Amino acid sequence: MATRKQRAPVQYVQIDALVVLKLIKHCQEEGAGGTDLVQGVLLGLVVENRLEITNCFPFPRHSEEQEDFNEVQYQMEMMRNLRHVNIDHLHVGWYQSTLFGSFINRPLIDSQFNYQDSIEESVVLIYDPLKTTQGFLSVKAYRLTPAMMKFHSENDFSTENITKHGMTFDKMFEEIPVVTKNSHLGNSLLCNLEEEEQEADKYNFLDLATSSMLQKNLRQLMECVDATTMDINKYINCQRQIMRQQQAKQQHIQKRQQDNALRTQRGEPPLPEEDLNKLFKPIPSPPRLECLLFSGQIDNYCQQISSFATQSLGKLFMAESLQNEGPST
Amino acid sequence: MSRFFKAGSDSESETESSEDDELIQQRPSAAPVPSRTFQFSDDEEDSKRIVRSAKDKRFDEMTNIIKQMKNHKNIKDMANVLSDFEALVKAFEKAKKVVQEEGVPRFFIKCLYDLEEYANECWEDKEWRKSISKNNSKSFTSLRQKLKKFIRERFEKEVAEYRENPDQGDDDKKEETPAPEESEEEEVKKPEPVVTKPKLPAPPVRKDEDDDDEDDDDSDWGMSDDSVESESDDEPMEVGKLTAEFFLKKSDSGTARKEKKKKEPKKVKLLESDEEGDWEEVRGGAPLIMERPKMFAKDQDITVDAVMKKLFEITAARGKKGTDRNEQIELLKELREIAVTNNLGLGVDVKLYFNIIGAIFDYNPNTLTSMRNDVWESCLEYIKTLLNMLIDHPEVTVGEDIKEDDEKLQEAPFMIRACFLTLVEKMDEEFTKMLQGCDAHSTEYVERLKDESQVCDIIEKTLRYLEIKGKPMEIARIYLKRIEHLYYKHDNSINQNPRPKHGKIKSKSYIVEGSSEQIVDKLCKYLYTAETSDRLRTRAILCHIYHHALHNRWFQARDLMLMSHLQDNIGHSDIPTQLLYNRTLVQLGLCAFRQGNIRDAHHALVDIQSSNRAKELLAQGLLPNRQNERTPEQEKIEKRRLFPYHMHINLELLECVYLVSAMLLEIPFMAAHEMDVRRRMISKNFHHVMKMSERQTLIGPPESMREHVVAASKAMKTGDWKACKNFIVNDKMNAKVWDLFYQPDKVRDMITVKIQEESLRTYLFTYSNVYDTLSLQTLADMFELTMPVVHRIISKMIINEELMASLAEPTQTVIMHRTEPSRLQSLALQLSDKFLTLVENNERILEVKQGIYPFQNKRDRNDRNPATSAAFQHHTQGLFFFLDILNLFFCIYVELTEKRQFEKKLSYPCMN
Repeated sequence: MATRKQRAPVQYVQIDALVVLKLIKHCQEEGAGGTDLVQGVLLGLVVENRLEITNCFPFPRHSEEQEDFNEVQYQMEMMRNLRHVNIDHLHVGWYQSTLFGSFINRPLIDSQFNYQDSIEESVVLIYDPLKTTQGFLSVKAYRLTPAMMKFHSENDFSTENITKHGMTFDKMFEEIPVVTKNSHLGNSLLCNLEEEEQEADKYNFLDLATSSMLQKNLRQLMECVDATTMDINKYINCQRQIMRQQQAKQQHIQKRQQDNALRTQRGEPPLPEEDLNKLFKPIPSPPRLECLLFSGQIDNYCQQISSFATQSLGKLFMAESLQNEGPST
Repeated sequence: MSRFFKAGSDSESETESSEDDELIQQRPSAAPVPSRTFQFSDDEEDSKRIVRSAKDKRFDEMTNIIKQMKNHKNIKDMANVLSDFEALVKAFEKAKKVVQEEGVPRFFIKCLYDLEEYANECWEDKEWRKSISKNNSKSFTSLRQKLKKFIRERFEKEVAEYRENPDQGDDDKKEETPAPEESEEEEVKKPEPVVTKPKLPAPPVRKDEDDDDEDDDDSDWGMSDDSVESESDDEPMEVGKLTAEFFLKKSDSGTARKEKKKKEPKKVKLLESDEEGDWEEVRGGAPLIMERPKMFAKDQDITVDAVMKKLFEITAARGKKGTDRNEQIELLKELREIAVTNNLGLGVDVKLYFNIIGAIFDYNPNTLTSMRNDVWESCLEYIKTLLNMLIDHPEVTVGEDIKEDDEKLQEAPFMIRACFLTLVEKMDEEFTKMLQGCDAHSTEYVERLKDESQVCDIIEKTLRYLEIKGKPMEIARIYLKRIEHLYYKHDNSINQNPRPKHGKIKSKSYIVEGSSEQIVDKLCKYLYTAETSDRLRTRAILCHIYHHALHNRWFQARDLMLMSHLQDNIGHSDIPTQLLYNRTLVQLGLCAFRQGNIRDAHHALVDIQSSNRAKELLAQGLLPNRQNERTPEQEKIEKRRLFPYHMHINLELLECVYLVSAMLLEIPFMAAHEMDVRRRMISKNFHHVMKMSERQTLIGPPESMREHVVAASKAMKTGDWKACKNFIVNDKMNAKVWDLFYQPDKVRDMITVKIQEESLRTYLFTYSNVYDTLSLQTLADMFELTMPVVHRIISKMIINEELMASLAEPTQTVIMHRTEPSRLQSLALQLSDKFLTLVENNERILEVKQGIYPFQNKRDRNDRNPATSAAFQHHTQGLFFFLDILNLFFCIYVELTEKRQFEKKLSYPCMN
């Protein structure tokens, strides 16, 4: 509790193996093989400059009919129960599974904002079940940057505000390094398992079938690009409207000035000033947050693809050299 | 009351109007009897209290009640009539004493008699009885019973007497004023319509012709006479109380009465002159039901004129409310018999036949329901006899343009105003209606359908008759009728060459020799060349095309369709023609399918099938009415347009043909264009069906026709032609669809070949990228096609640039060129396209920003500046990550090419 007041920014996240296993289990059991999103609550403690996540529990899945289900109450109940058995019960964030890294969207930002608003150090863990099955455990911790927090708290996503905060798509999230910590017992078990593990299982990350993964990523990237294009079109339309209005306004003002000039020549009093804003209602510019999010998502995809591509490129070269050696032996 | 007065004032001539007025004034004064003060006229200022005799009082009361009852009778308010009757009986009881002295007053008897007649009449009018309210009908029955009892107990004799001799007074008058008949007749005839008109509400009971009106009037007069009489009779009783006015009145009423009386006799005369001598006819006041045992008096000599007059009389009632149509038919028949027995000649006979048939068609007032079977049969008989008569006697000329005055019924070149063709058309219409009326799956329908041959027979005969006698327009019309009965029937004789024809219609011996094709051809060609209306020609063309298509003459049908340019302007024609067009189009599509022109078949059927309303478009049934799309009236109209069942085109067959042709087109197309950014569809309907089946969680073995096609399509996707064929051509599908075709085996063979070919194409599209070379022989074996066919298909694909390959003749192999991009590559290409548009849009934002500046004044610029520049900034940032992406693309491409080389290296050792 004391550490929280120090406001020392959390430098890295330390996850217990238990949390990772629970997360994987939850995703496996309820996520329909990774296609459905699962969410849960992270429990832990801030120690010095690290956030220790020591336990977690899933949000129960509830169908549409159970409208009266109260999530908050469930969480409180759960945490109270955990406290009774002397388990860490401090809420330090939440986790979510993702499909091909498509997690940057409005709901995530909103809920993470709420978390960080109430619990400053809270993070969101993004778990990618697909990558995990390929042999790379993929758990990433994110939180909103302070700038984003401030920006979001104003709840004004207009172009002006974005500029004011200097908000860009890559300044929304900050990733925090994740460290997995095992207990000694766990480590020794792993050592045991490693001996028993078969050769083939160890190397499924050397899988050379890359095209399906790339295809899927590209498809999603395309969707995102489409959405961005739509958004830009909206913006252009809005700009055109504004421009047209400006012209009309201009003409109106000029006409008024001419009239007034004529009137003063004739010695009549000038026409009363009108509220131009009433005549020409300012056209609301479309919110830009969506565009930001899409950009962020595109960026995320690009990173994913390039990392994936470099890896598989490496694998291919490796395999090629092996192949070259192969026939000769 | 009002009825009487209006009638009176109208029928009285001008000179009497003053007296008339007085009469009117006198009447209302008589009305408020219960007040006991009897005012003789309104202008009499000192209304004296007049003491009246008991008899007077009682009788006045009764007449009053009778008048009220009369009014109530007119509006058929049974409850009030009943209460009036009861009041009358009570009043009569009160007046018993007087009655004993004076005897039963005549007006009372008359009233009873009228009431009885009225009750009987109402009883007979069953329709009316059904329609009245419960309360009304209840009081009506009780009224009837009470009345009967009352009359039976007390006044049986008197009423019977009255019936014998309705108004004694009239008889005397007849002798007194034997006015010249002719002039009087005119006098009466003229005002009559006026007389009847103002009588609103007219008694709906009125059953019959003008005679009845007269009768009615008669009764009115009689009644008024009575009341006047009773008054005038009464008056002398009040001796001493008489005033000058009273005398005046009396004399007035006297003259009025005289006037009226004058009229009565001639009416009686009139009736008599109609040779309805016995009193039965004139009977009483209430309107008569037509019960005429005899047409003419025995002694009357029956001439053509008399018959015609009678005929006119009967037909004059036609279409009038309350005319008993059944009776009319009977009357006409009787008239004809009389005419025949008196040997009045052919002309009269024909004329009467026309009228009888017309009356039969009139019989059913409801346009929706069909006529009864027995009526229909008799109608057919009559038409046949008439037709034979016309054919046998060429001296009879029938025409619509003959004026009524020019009709010649007596001597040899008979001229009759009528149109036989119209009768035939009406008969045909009725026939269609009858077929629509009965359940298509019942034996009743089959029974009716048997008449089809008779109908055709009649049409055929009429055709030949009109060819000789008719005008070109009529010939055209009957030709079309003939065609319309012929075009949808399959003529089996054409394919069973010289064997004696025994097609459905062929059995008739008099049909011009040759197939139905020849007939239709001949008739249609006449219609094309003759000066006929567009509608007839359009319909003829459509029928012609339909007939061609039905007999697999695809090219003739298609050429005719294309030459007629009907597609362009069919939308302007009437709905039945449009329906015929739809039918023709469908039949054309089916024909194309049978001939193996899959694309044409698909084109022809796609419009009908894609809307999912084939049933409605072909007028073979109504779709369930959702959300009140149509009003009941519209629905009725649509129902009337439906084609009878035997003309239907099987909808399942239609759908199946459509789906199979869509499958044959769509599956290879889908395989070829899998990579396309925007996938076009050939058939939305087919895609829809496929999607529906994909949505199912469990796909069992196919049951319905649609499932079969879907399963076949799935098999075809993988190039498995055998499975595909087995799904399309099997016992189930044979029973459901293919056996319905004329030569099912041919069709099945055609489908099999098509499936083989299209499966080969699909296979090549789908799997060409896994082959480097392909042996033609292997392909031929795989798809059980001959080498030349395989060669042909592949060459065609190569020429159309669908398949990137070349044929190596010496080795008989296809060598793939591998120029088409892999899936990932094409995706990347698409992505780059998208990025391009994104970048362009981004630049447009910049343009707008630049463009805006010159037009803005300072203040606005200050407003806008940060915003636009922010947008610019924001989007230029975007440009940076585009660079990233381009970089990434490069990565991907490098990787892909690398990988491909690598794969090649990998695969070669494996192949070796």
